[in-house]
Amino acid sequence: MHSLVLDIAGTLSAAANLFVVAAGLTLVFGAMRIINMAHGSFYMYGAFAVTTVLGVGAGWRFWLALLAGAVVAAVAGLTVEVTVIRRLYDAEHLTQLLATYAVLLIFADIGQRIWGAGYRTVNPPAVLASGVSIAGVQVPRYQLFVIGVGAAVGLALWLMLARTRFGWLLRAAVQDPESVATGGTDLARLRTGVFVIGAFLAGLGGALIAPMQSIAPGMDVSIIVSVFIVVTIGGLGSVAGAALGALLIGLAQTLGAEFFASWAASLIYLTMIVVLAIRPWGLLGVPER
Amino acid sequence: MHTDSLASSAEHDQVHLARPPARTTAGTVACVVVMGLLALAGVVWSPAALANLQEALGLVLFAVATNLLLGYGGLVSFAQAAFYGIGAYGIAIGWLHWKLPFWLGGLAGIAAAAVAAVIVGVISLRTRRLYFALLTLAFTQLFFVIADNQTAITNGATGIFGAMVPTWLAEPQGGYYFTLVVVVVVTLGCYAVVRSPFGLTLKAIRDNRERAEALGVNVYRHQLAAFVISSVGCAIAGFLFAIYSQSASPDLLSWTNSGEPIFMAVLGGMHTFLGPVAGAIVYFYAQSYLTQHITDWQLVLGLLLLVIVLFKPSGLAGIGADAGRAVRRLRARTGGRA
Repeated sequence: MHSLVLDIAGTLSAAANLFVVAAGLTLVFGAMRIINMAHGSFYMYGAFAVTTVLGVGAGWRFWLALLAGAVVAAVAGLTVEVTVIRRLYDAEHLTQLLATYAVLLIFADIGQRIWGAGYRTVNPPAVLASGVSIAGVQVPRYQLFVIGVGAAVGLALWLMLARTRFGWLLRAAVQDPESVATGGTDLARLRTGVFVIGAFLAGLGGALIAPMQSIAPGMDVSIIVSVFIVVTIGGLGSVAGAALGALLIGLAQTLGAEFFASWAASLIYLTMIVVLAIRPWGLLGVPER
Repeated sequence: MHTDSLASSAEHDQVHLARPPARTTAGTVACVVVMGLLALAGVVWSPAALANLQEALGLVLFAVATNLLLGYGGLVSFAQAAFYGIGAYGIAIGWLHWKLPFWLGGLAGIAAAAVAAVIVGVISLRTRRLYFALLTLAFTQLFFVIADNQTAITNGATGIFGAMVPTWLAEPQGGYYFTLVVVVVVTLGCYAVVRSPFGLTLKAIRDNRERAEALGVNVYRHQLAAFVISSVGCAIAGFLFAIYSQSASPDLLSWTNSGEPIFMAVLGGMHTFLGPVAGAIVYFYAQSYLTQHITDWQLVLGLLLLVIVLFKPSGLAGIGADAGRAVRRLRARTGGRA
């Protein structure tokens, strides 16, 4: 019972954090058919920005740091969209992968110039540092907070896509960009907006993870692999798919660590291979032409 | 002169034949000259310079083999580093556990890579485009994790080091000539594949998959064959790396290592056969120079990659072609030769 409750909380919080990052990536892909490797950089910048704002202390500044992480990533996203992504809308996926990989390399070195090559750690704020008793087991409050943020992001994205004019235009622009442009919408601004939201989510995900693991160069490359796995399992472009993929990967990580210690790391890749072997376009994706 | 018109009409006729016109006499001459210079380098260059060149030649093969898939098949695979790594581990594991001679371990490694490529290809090629790229990435990570975790077989993250090749091969000159011969032979093999009807079918699939399918081409089987051939080439490159470095480690199988031959191919020009050769050489020497002199090597690499991808997708080969055209235009204007 003890380990079960902890496992569930651990799985859900890992999944929620992955979902926040993956939702940004899949949103951008769904709206503009752009696959962005530099998404990992936005995530890393979000995490490092938190360490900058927090310094050593904690307290109320944590909320500011969380926001700062997401905003720093959003600004980086805006820069990348205007300078690079705009030129990639009609490009081959190889061109997109290479160009955004180039951006990832550039951001990695700039990041090292700003934050150094060592690792950093931060503490969760005092309010979230203790545990909560669930079924007699002490579950870290911070994990519950991350789960809550994941759920809130999911809800917000659903509301945005289904209930706002922006979301409506976005879905229309995927189907028929020309008609939307003819209708008087500034397509370039719409796309920039989506990309910045995607980067914001990556930064938020990085900021959220900061108190749970050490922050170091290289986390950009490792997160992008995890997030690619999440979004392909779920189906590229599907936000609900990203949630499903994040849950599956969270589950695979927990089960792997619990039952097949020496094969634990293999399990998430095997999950993706099995899913795509059965459904080559992911669980909730649509087959491409 | 009428010999000129004869030649050009013969060229016209050849356009409709299965093989592209053989207009490469200048290229052939250049290749032979380069080969002669490379053979000469083994005698006159310093051991340190030879060791560098030996490593560069291995990367040339890695880039050429990867480009078989990338440039001719239109398939972006992140799994090529896995086959490269398996090729290297063949020698290392054979030596560590059974004291196998390097060539036997190497052959076993290359065979293992071929088997792995069939499995990866059979599953991955069912998917398309980005899904294919990302699925091959998952496979690479899987192999990486296995190499990293199965310590009893691979020594885990430390890797395998030791005198796994005979002394004559470990010496710069012996190693260099061995590598040169293998790289030239395998590269010529890749060239034969590219020029064969099979290679042309592959290009047809790349350019228009639906049309090739409509013409009765079994797309899946052609792509699978290309995948296995390319992977065997990558495994041979990995085998050469193990000879050069007398080591194998999990890093060889990381997905970012799959990115390197792709980058070399794009840098050189992935729609030409020799582009990746030039790309690998330039990349290798630029990297070893820049990493010695500046700290932000990735920044330079990233900017370079970005500029090529956005503004000169045909790479060095494209720049070369532009220069050739400019020279010809200049000649025509000065009336030197018609």
